[in-house]
Amino acid sequence: MSNLIDDIFEDFVEGDEDLRDFHSALSEILPNASITLLAVDGTKVASPLQPIADEIVAHCKEQLGASSELASCPLDDGQLIFGKRLDELGGCFLCLCVSGQDVGKAVHQQLLPLYQNSINYALLQCTHRDAVIDNEQINRRIEVLTTNHAKLLDDNHKQFLLIQQKEHEYAKKLESEIARQTRELRETNVRLEEASRLKSEFLANMSHELRTPMNAIIGFGGLLIETELTEEQQEFTETIRKAAAGLLVLINDILDLAKIEAGKLDIDEEPFCLDGLGKSVEAMFRSQALEKGNKLSYRLDPALPHSIIGDENRLRQIMVNLVGNAMKFTENGEVTIFVDLVSQAADKWSIKFGVSDTGIGIPPERQKAIFEKFTQADGSTTRKFGGTGLGLSITNQLVGLMGGAVELESEAGKGSVFSFVLDLTEAATAASAAGKNVDQVGGNGANLSFAQQKPAKEITKEAADFCVLVVEDNLVNQRLAALLLKKAGCKTDLAGDGLQALEKIQDKFYDLILMDVQMPNMDGHTATREIRKIENSAEKEKYKSLAGRENGIAIVGLTAHARKEDEQRCYEAGMDGFLTKPIVRATLVSLLEEMKTQKKNHV
Amino acid sequence: MPSARILVDKFNDLKTLPHVAIQVTQMAASESATMQDFEEVIKLDPILVVRLLRLVNSPYFGLSNNVESIAKAVVFIGMKELRNLVAVEALRSLFKDSEDNRTFSRKNLWVHSATVAILGQMISRRIFALDGENVFLAGIIHDIGLIVEDQLVGEELRQVCAAFAKGQPSISEVEDEIIGTNHAKVGRLLAADWKLPDEVIEAIRFHHRKDKEYPIPSVISILQIAEFVASKLKYGVVTGRTESLPKYLTSHMKSRVADYKVLLKSFPAEMAKAKELYESDSDN
Repeated sequence: MSNLIDDIFEDFVEGDEDLRDFHSALSEILPNASITLLAVDGTKVASPLQPIADEIVAHCKEQLGASSELASCPLDDGQLIFGKRLDELGGCFLCLCVSGQDVGKAVHQQLLPLYQNSINYALLQCTHRDAVIDNEQINRRIEVLTTNHAKLLDDNHKQFLLIQQKEHEYAKKLESEIARQTRELRETNVRLEEASRLKSEFLANMSHELRTPMNAIIGFGGLLIETELTEEQQEFTETIRKAAAGLLVLINDILDLAKIEAGKLDIDEEPFCLDGLGKSVEAMFRSQALEKGNKLSYRLDPALPHSIIGDENRLRQIMVNLVGNAMKFTENGEVTIFVDLVSQAADKWSIKFGVSDTGIGIPPERQKAIFEKFTQADGSTTRKFGGTGLGLSITNQLVGLMGGAVELESEAGKGSVFSFVLDLTEAATAASAAGKNVDQVGGNGANLSFAQQKPAKEITKEAADFCVLVVEDNLVNQRLAALLLKKAGCKTDLAGDGLQALEKIQDKFYDLILMDVQMPNMDGHTATREIRKIENSAEKEKYKSLAGRENGIAIVGLTAHARKEDEQRCYEAGMDGFLTKPIVRATLVSLLEEMKTQKKNHV
Repeated sequence: MPSARILVDKFNDLKTLPHVAIQVTQMAASESATMQDFEEVIKLDPILVVRLLRLVNSPYFGLSNNVESIAKAVVFIGMKELRNLVAVEALRSLFKDSEDNRTFSRKNLWVHSATVAILGQMISRRIFALDGENVFLAGIIHDIGLIVEDQLVGEELRQVCAAFAKGQPSISEVEDEIIGTNHAKVGRLLAADWKLPDEVIEAIRFHHRKDKEYPIPSVISILQIAEFVASKLKYGVVTGRTESLPKYLTSHMKSRVADYKVLLKSFPAEMAKAKELYESDSDN
């Protein structure tokens, strides 16, 4: 290796550079000594100093050339010369003498260790020079490592930032992806809700369409049964009427559900009598309870206030549904309607409404499902007990609208308790509720069945001169209304639309106008407004029906829609009352009774 | 006569650099590559994974815990060192000899390249206090053009080597005469295709140029010194022949003789260490 290294540097430096380095180093240490250095090949290493004579060097090498220890060699003139083989420098030969004649032999001997040390020192100096260089190189390598280390740290920090950034980007992407999906879901949801709403609207409209023929079926069925019929015909007619009534319940259920889902069902809060509600529900089911051998009882917590603010009609509908349900599944048992106080704070009352029965009960795994639409505890229930499966769903949703939730405790075979708790406000005065505690003329099935159980009142003679104008475009409905009124002992005239009605009231005096809302040419609302306008003007005298009246002529609206806003629009137009089609005889009769009473009082 | 481009294209049809090598080189130069990206690429080459982990767990790094994940290894050795490791792996197979030849052998060329690379790195570190990663890369690749020539115009290359062995002063001039192009031009194109750093490409392109003075230190000047010293150490392209060193580098070396001497004393040890790190198990 060292040969190879020398090869490399032959181009740049002379081969004996090491030797020259050593020579000059030693010369500096021993300035008074003559030094000659022979390379391995015997050539003399160049030196600026006075060299020793060649023959003396040759003599010395001959004497001492084999020795690696510094030794002295006497010369002819008594001088001593020193020499040694330098293994450290590849075995070259060093020859050294001190100039000056006056130095004694003994002194020379004493100088031997000094020379030896000087040579060692010079050698060390040369090695030291390499060591210094080596050290420098080590320092540079350390420098590189330090730089690299810093760079690595830097790189890693950069990596950290990069990864952080990528994570941020990823998180952002994820976020926007989630946002996008959420938006899509929301849009889909809106679409679905819209579709569902449209469906519900469609159903609501369909129900309306269905109610028009139902109007005819129930109405004429009612009339038919009062004609002379054979026993067989009587039975058939009764069947038709029952089936029609059942169908109407179903249609009303569907209508309610559709309204709830279309968000069109409003809760109408007004003061009402709690006990009146309970009693009316109990009364409604009394005969059915007898039929099925059930003991029907009703209890009201006496601590409860007399009147309370809430939607009585909807509450009744709920209770009727629950009681009807209990009746349906209970035979020879007990059904209890109860209204209990849960808690009270000032005028806020927490009231528990409920119905318990000792019927077939509902197994736990089916308890949740029965609140679903079109579902009953058991698929076979419909066949066994009838029913649409809509009742409980509607009930649940109605209770939800009022801020409660239907709870069910049930055990198969032992019976069920359906209950719900509502937070209601006590009505300010008892009087305000009392006036309102009249059966509302409603279009829903609950009211219908309730109303139908009321015995029709006998018609008084005074009714004979009671004149009613029926404004209705549908011929069947015209006929039905006319027949019903005739049965009730009223005289009837017909008008096909609002315009015709305005003509009729000019020529004749009428006690009451039954005004359909939806009509061609001029609808019921417009016609009513027209009439009210005339009543407030001088024109009034030209109209036989209007002239000379203290109050305005009674106008009662007829509409297939039983919605709150429909009713509201009728009143806004100036109507005095409101009837839902199909016209139920009992309600018509009670309306007429009321009108006649008023008439009598005025006369 | 074929141009350098034609040779490179033909060569690329025959042999391709491993995908991994090209990707790692580019990622090392990229600002946005993450350790995970490196890991994704490196793990495709099981041999590389073994080598990388062996390197990072060698006493050189002196880590107290054994590193077992690629990403962590890359963190410790740095991207450039990783790139060099990959380059060595990628080139090793190209330097496998098809047949033995007295004037030119790929095995000799491999030893030459490795020697130049290691010397270049030593000079960078010990004389100039630079990390020398690019010098190492330039050293290992600088004669890749000769492999291309051996593959495609082997006969002519042997004539070139013979002429050079007989004393022609410059191998690249002989190549230009006999082959029509030279390994520096070919190597430069390959390096450019590989998208190596610019200073590495330039060093490969001009490593036989004698008439221009490059800054000291620079990749090319250190490469030239290393090439010269390697040839002097009998690790030349053609054993026993050394091209003369450009004058400005001669005077540089003269001024730092002692430094270079001391450096060379450590060379055998460094070579042994490198052999341990880079030598494949099948080599000997």
